[in-house]
Parts: sequence; C-alpha cells; structure tokens
Amino acid sequence: MAVVSTTTTTVAPHAVLDHIHPEPTSFVRRYIFSIDHKVIGIQYMITGLLFFVLAGLLAELIRIQLLHNDARFMSPEVYNGVYTMHGSAMVWMVIIPLVTGGFGNFVMPLQIGARDVAFPWLNLASFWMFPIAGVLLFGAFLVGAPDAGWTEYPPVSLQGPVGTNYWCVAIFLIGISSTLTGINFIVTILKMRAPGMTLTRMPLFVWAQLSTAALSMIATTALAAALLALFLERVFGIPFYDPTKGGSPILWQHMFWFYSHPAVYIMILPAFGIISEVLPTFARKPIFGYKMIAFSSVAIALVGFMVWAHHMFTSGLAPWLQLPFMILTMIVAIPTGIKIFSWMATLWGGSIELTPAMLFAIGFLITFTFGGITGVFLAAIPVDLHAHGTYFVVGHFHYVLYGGSVFGIFAGLYYWWPKITGRMMNERVGLWHFWLTFISFNCTFLPMHWLGLQGMPRRVATYLDSHDAVFWNQVASISSFVLAASTLLLFGNMAWSFYKGKRAGANPWGARTLEWMISSPPPYYNYKRVPAVLATPYDFGNPLPYIGLDSPEGTLPTPQLTAPPAPAPR
Amino acid sequence: MGPGFWLITAILALLSVGAAAFWIIVPLPMGVEQAADTAVPTDILFKVLAVIGSALFIYVFGYIVYFAIVFRRPKNAPANTIGVQIHDAPVLEFWWTVIPAVIVLGLAIASVQLLNKIYYTAGDVLTMEAIGYQFGFQFRYPKLANPVSEMHIPVDTPVTVHVTARDVIHGFWIPEIRVKQDMVPGLINTVRFTPTKIGVYPIICTSYCGIAHGGMHSAVHIDSQQDFAKWFAAQQGGTAAAGGGSAAGAAIALSAGSVSAGQALFGQKCSACHSVGPFTQKIVGPGLGHIFDDPDHPKLVNGTAPSPQDIAMILKNGYQGDLGVMPSSQVNQISNTDIANLVAYLVSLSKK
Ligand code: HEC
Ligand SMILES: [Cu+2]
Repeated sequence: MAVVSTTTTTVAPHAVLDHIHPEPTSFVRRYIFSIDHKVIGIQYMITGLLFFVLAGLLAELIRIQLLHNDARFMSPEVYNGVYTMHGSAMVWMVIIPLVTGGFGNFVMPLQIGARDVAFPWLNLASFWMFPIAGVLLFGAFLVGAPDAGWTEYPPVSLQGPVGTNYWCVAIFLIGISSTLTGINFIVTILKMRAPGMTLTRMPLFVWAQLSTAALSMIATTALAAALLALFLERVFGIPFYDPTKGGSPILWQHMFWFYSHPAVYIMILPAFGIISEVLPTFARKPIFGYKMIAFSSVAIALVGFMVWAHHMFTSGLAPWLQLPFMILTMIVAIPTGIKIFSWMATLWGGSIELTPAMLFAIGFLITFTFGGITGVFLAAIPVDLHAHGTYFVVGHFHYVLYGGSVFGIFAGLYYWWPKITGRMMNERVGLWHFWLTFISFNCTFLPMHWLGLQGMPRRVATYLDSHDAVFWNQVASISSFVLAASTLLLFGNMAWSFYKGKRAGANPWGARTLEWMISSPPPYYNYKRVPAVLATPYDFGNPLPYIGLDSPEGTLPTPQLTAPPAPAPR
Repeated sequence: MGPGFWLITAILALLSVGAAAFWIIVPLPMGVEQAADTAVPTDILFKVLAVIGSALFIYVFGYIVYFAIVFRRPKNAPANTIGVQIHDAPVLEFWWTVIPAVIVLGLAIASVQLLNKIYYTAGDVLTMEAIGYQFGFQFRYPKLANPVSEMHIPVDTPVTVHVTARDVIHGFWIPEIRVKQDMVPGLINTVRFTPTKIGVYPIICTSYCGIAHGGMHSAVHIDSQQDFAKWFAAQQGGTAAAGGGSAAGAAIALSAGSVSAGQALFGQKCSACHSVGPFTQKIVGPGLGHIFDDPDHPKLVNGTAPSPQDIAMILKNGYQGDLGVMPSSQVNQISNTDIANLVAYLVSLSKK
C-alpha cells in the first residue's frame, strides 16, 4: 500500500498564515459576539439543543393528546398550534442550525486546516439571526400560534391566527441566516483549505457541508420569496394565493417544496458526513468508496432539486407531469443506496469499537435505511395516492429525520464532544442512552406506518378509532415518553462531563482528520502553523498524511500493523 | 468474509424469502378492505415494494449487526489495532449501483403502468361532484338540484368524482378505494373508480383545513343498484325538500312567522352576506329587499317563482348557483321556526 501519493512531496506548510491574532479578552467579545467559528459553532449547538428540548416537549404534548381518539387534553386550537410549532421548530430551529451552523461551524474549518471561516463577521450575523428567529417563532404562542402545519398551505394559512405572521418573519430570518452560512461555507471550503488538501483529500464531512451549503444557498431563496408573498397577502391583502381573488394556492406548494425538498437534504447530508467520519474512526478502516460517497452527495444535491413535486401528487398536477417527478425521486434511491452499502462495507473487516458515537452511527444506518425504503413507497404514485397526508408519511419522515438527522447529531455530539470541551462523556450512560433511544424510537414511529395506511390522517386532534387506532397510538405515545426520558441521559451526561469528565487529550478516539491533531479544546487560532496535507485522512495503515504540524505530545496514533482479521473480498 | 458469513447470508436469504411469502400471501397488505377496482393495482404495487423493501432491509440490517459483532475489536487488543485497509472494490460497487438502478427502473415502469389503470380507469357512467367545505363534504348529482350530504354510489358502476372545495384545501380520501385527491378551491380534480363491494366506508379529509380538521369525515355508501335507484328516486322526488340529507318532505309551516323576530335574526345570521337593498346590491349573496317585486328578477336564483314556500326551501336546503354558495339551515344553524320568522321578515321588506 502506497504510503503517500507521489505528487505531494513539494507541498510546504503555508508560511503567510504563521501570523497569529491575539484572542479577545473581554467576556462579550469572547463568548457573546465572538467571531471565532468555534465559539459560534458552540453557540449554535447550545441554542439548537435548547430549542430541541422545547420542540420535544411540544411533541410529548401531541402524544398525550393522541392517547385517546377523542381527547380533550388540549382544545383543537391549542393542539394545532402545538404540532405546527413542533414541526417548524424541529426543522428550522433545531436540525438545520445544528447540522450546518453547529457542527459545520465548529468542525469544518478545523478539518480543512483553516483558522476560521471566510467571512467571520457574516458568520456572527448569521448566528444572531437564529436566536432572534427562534424567539419570534415561539413568541407566536403569545398571540395565537400558527396552526396549519409546518407547510402552512394557503388558503387555510391565510385564515390562521396572527402568530402566522410571526412564523413568516421567523422562518424568513432563519432562511437568510442559512443562505448566508451557505455562501460563507462554500467560499471557506473552496478557498481556505490547507495546502495539499485537494478536493478529493477533503474529509467526507467537508464534502457533505459543501453540498449542503450549495443547497442552502440556492433553494432557500425560493422559500424566502414564498414567505414574503404569504406575509404580504396576510398583512396587506395582496392576493398571491387566494383563489377567490385570482391567486393560486398551488403556487405556494411549488415554491415551498422547491425549497423544502432540498431542505430534507440540507438536514440529512451533514448527518451523512458525520457518519462518514465516525464509522472509519471506530472501525479503524479507510472509508469504503471515498469517491463514490463524495460523488453521491453531490448527485443527491443535484437531483434533489428536481423532485419537489413528489409532495404534490394529489394536488392535481397533470399526470404526465407527475411521472418525471416520480422517476427522479426513485433515482435518488441509487446514490443513497451507494452510500449505505459503502458504509456497510466500511464496517466489514474492521476493528470495531462500539462507543456511543459508533452505536448511533450504526443505529443511523438501520433506521435511515428503513426510512429510505418507505420513501420509495411514497415515491410510487399509486401508493402515494393512498398514503399521502396520513400517518404513514409522519412515520416515514421521522425515520429519516429522527432516525437519520437526529441520530447523526447524537453520533456527532458523542464524537466531537471531547474536542469541543476537552472532556470525555461517561460511556456507560452513553450506551444506555443509545439502547433506550433506539428501542423507544422504533416503538414510537413504527406503528405510525400502519396507522396511516389504515385511515389516520396527519394533523388531527381527534381521529376515528378504526383498525385498533387507539391501541397503536397508545403504544406510540408511551414509547415517546421513554424516548424523551432517554434524551435526558444525554443532557445529564453532557452536564456531568463538563465539570467532572475525564480529560480527553487531543485525540481520544485515535481519529485521523486534522481537528484531532490539535489540543482539545482547540486553541483560539486553531493551527499555529497550517499543515500540509499529503493524502486522504482515512488510511489507518499509513503514517499520518500531514507535515508541518505542531503535534501535542504523545497523541499521534502510530498504527499497529497487525494482520488483518479477514481476507479481502473476492 | 468473516466467520459464518455464508451461513448468515443463507439465513438472511431465508428470512427474505419468508417475508416475501408473507407479503405475497397476505390478502390485504395494508390491512384495509378493497372496495373498488382501483384498490387492486395499488395493493399489488404495495406488495411488490414490500417484497423488495423487506429483502433489502433484512440484508442491510442483518449484515450490519453481523459485522458489528464479528469484527468487534477484542477487549484485550490495543486501541490502535487496525482493520482491513481496503478502499474500494470496483466490481462490488458496480453491481450495487446497477442492481438498484434496474430495480428502481422496474418499479418506475410498474408504477406508470398501474397509474394508467388508476387515472384512466373507466368512469363516467355516474359522474358526480364532491365539494369540501369547513368542515364537511357535500355531493352533487346530475338531475338533483341540490347538493346532498351523503355519498351514495351504485356497486359495479364506473364512477367519476370531480372534487373541489369552497373555502380552503381539503383532502378527499376513501381508504378502501385507495384514491385520494386534494379538494382545491378553484380547481377541479378527478378520481375515477368502479366500486366493487357493498358497504359503508369512511371519507376522510387529509389536508389540514382548520380547527375541526380532525373531525372532518363523511361516509360513502356503496349500494346495490336497486338500493341506489331507490335512494336516488327519493332524493329526486323530494328535491324541493330533501336536500342536505335532512328528513325529506313536509313543507314548512310559515303562518306563524314573526317579522320582528325575523329582523333580529337576519341581523345575526344573514346580513354578513345579504343587504336589504335591491337584488344587485350584492355583498356575498344578492340583496333581498325586493325578492317579490323586482321586475328584473322575477325568479329566485334556483329558477322557481318567488313564493314564501320556495324561499323557505332555499333557506332550508341552501343553494349553490352562479353567485356562490347560500348555506343550508344546518350550516346557518337556524330552525324551522327561525325560517318562518325570516320569511315573514323578507315578505314584509318587499311590501314597503
Ligand atoms: C355565506 C354567505 C351567506 C349567508 C350567511 C346567507 N346567504 Fe343567502 N345567499 C348567499 C348567496 C351567495 C346566494 C346566491 C346563491 C346563488 O344564486 O348562487 C344567496 C341566496 C339567497 C336567497 C335567494 C335570493 C334570490 O333572489 O333568489 C335568499 C332568499 C337568501 N339567500 C336568504 C338568506 C337568509 C334569510 C340568510 C340568513 C339566514 C342567508 N341568506 C344567509 C349567501 C349567503
Ligand atoms: Cu421531499
């Protein structure tokens, strides 16, 4: 096996960057209005996790209501507000900010050997739009929360309470934030990589962030336009969507989904990236099919722009127009399959350590695959004509968003926590967290599939008790209570570790990407000297592919070349 | 390949075959009755997807768990023990790209075929209209002047339902028939099917439409041809009275109507949509000040000559014409006594 590629011996560490700015000393400049990507990343994570707790509590309220088919726990008004806010917050205030602003900000510049993102002040602005948007969104509860679901289809959203206006503004704001972050990341990744880090030597997490940033930058503009029009119509009566005044309700659906379908990839691609880092590290193996994984991220991002109308198969599009959308949607399954198979192959023949991060990555593979398969069911129009708008869809997207994105976030948290804080989490509690979450997650969301197929529509405060609907809803609800409780283990673990956790050292997992080559937490300037990169980071059998690095002592893993446990395939 | 790899592979194959057999044998893969021809192709496609999906999931799940167990680093091995340093296997990757591509293509072709059956199934022997409103469904039949609140269709008869909505988007879903279209105001979507099984099945709204969305359902009665004919005749016979699905028949006693009570009620229930000016002074509906003595509008909007009894019927059953929707007494929440009072008031207006 070649140690390093031959073309790289001339690459030298970047001399110009040896100049280091001093760290700001005032508390405010250091922790509140910092322009350091690491601090901003952590701010994103804290804010995002806070909203995760709030939106999670809303989910539990939903599940309490659905314990009975004719429940009076909440009035329909309150209930409709609760599920709308749950969905909106989870998408825009939790998952998107966590996977891009949070992990993207903290990890990506470190992984490419940069000292910060390209536009640090812009980054600061992007971040501060987020808590403001979040407060606005939740503030809607004070004036009458929006009630038409996170998709806010007009005309019914035109009738919605005043809070719907807050919703428009909040989502608009977070959309701008996400667009700006997209631009910032694209420039950072394209322009600020350490010398020698060619595109095909980038860690896969960086590839994922690059594809995601392109999606955020392009797609979010459509959302902004749609929201602006909705706002203008609601507040000033300018008719964009109201059919009685010549507007088109279908217009909203096109614009909304032109953003929101890519948005599901904005939510999942970074999780793919996290998985692609965790798996090789804990299997002590190169990621299998590096190029195919990177390429498939790009392919998913591209095709992801051309499938939005698969959310509209029942809206009355001409049948011939539906077909390309169905076929393209199914085609997305191919690059997704490539990824899943490549990750499986990464496990094969590994030297696997089942840490909590690794378990969540493996759990991700299983639950996300399930969600991907039910996605193909929904892509098939005849089945969608039955399942659209039902709990089958709710089950499907929780498998991809919770079992996918959120499991990815959990894996990332366990994985990078030592880098962020310099301390280890308790492993045993982490294992409990995983197993409780994995089991209760499945018991919560699996029954929703048949609930939906057998007649339960989504977004209902009351439902018909046919086909044992009440029983299965109770199973889902009770499991969801366990799911919520299991998440407390994570938060408890984080709090405990922050004060009492074992010191992590620079590289507790023996990982090989650049961020693990510097101390934990990383110094203000990240790299005293920016290293040169000689190869992809995942060759556990080779010496580290970096030169010019001031390595903190005793942390660089020296590979121990034992005989591989099994022969190569074929 | 790892200890016991082929054994595991064989077990997973067996499980997949078992799952496939289950899906093929089970008569109703979604656990929902089939009450129309359209349910059949949908269920077949569902079975195909379920067979493929189960096999895929069983293999992915099985191999992942198996790898995680057999390739686990032994407890006593040093932490930097590495795994097999393999980067790719082009042959393998070729096949796991091509095979899914072929499967997906097959599924797409199958879906298109079945979709043809569903979208272009025979219809048109009975053509009707379903209208969603907040929060219920109404149905219009040819040769029935008024919409009715129950959907009856004859078994084994190709049916075309044009669906639309009056206010916001609703969903028109009959699980047992496996069809769904959104009811979009200003648009007409179409579903076609031939009911095959007599019974009563739910119609469910699947698009959030406002506060009472969860309670928005109705029922479709698939009747025998004779029962349907009887029902339809009853509707026709009683067109004047039986609309809205309310008890057919009797004219409303109007003699005891009180003008002052009618006036008060008009202010609460009607003035949002009606002025008391001439017919042309429209709000939502026409002005009602001169129903009996307007030479430009000698007839009521439903074509009958203005008599107190005919007006009472409009108030009772509602009416939908070129001008829009006049809600029924059920929707307006007015009793027969209220109607008598309102008619008395309207009569008094024209005399001025
Ligand atoms: C939601 C608005 C609305 C409300 C409320 C309403 N109507 Fe109407 N009404 C209409 C519309 C629209 C029409 C015309 C229907 C058409 O011809 O298309 C109409 C028609 C009528 C007509 C027939 C007029 C004609 O010249 O033929 C009468 C009578 C009438 N309404 C009485 C009432 C009364 C009495 C009430 C109060 C109980 C009432 N309406 C409440 C909308 C309304
Ligand atoms: Cu989508």
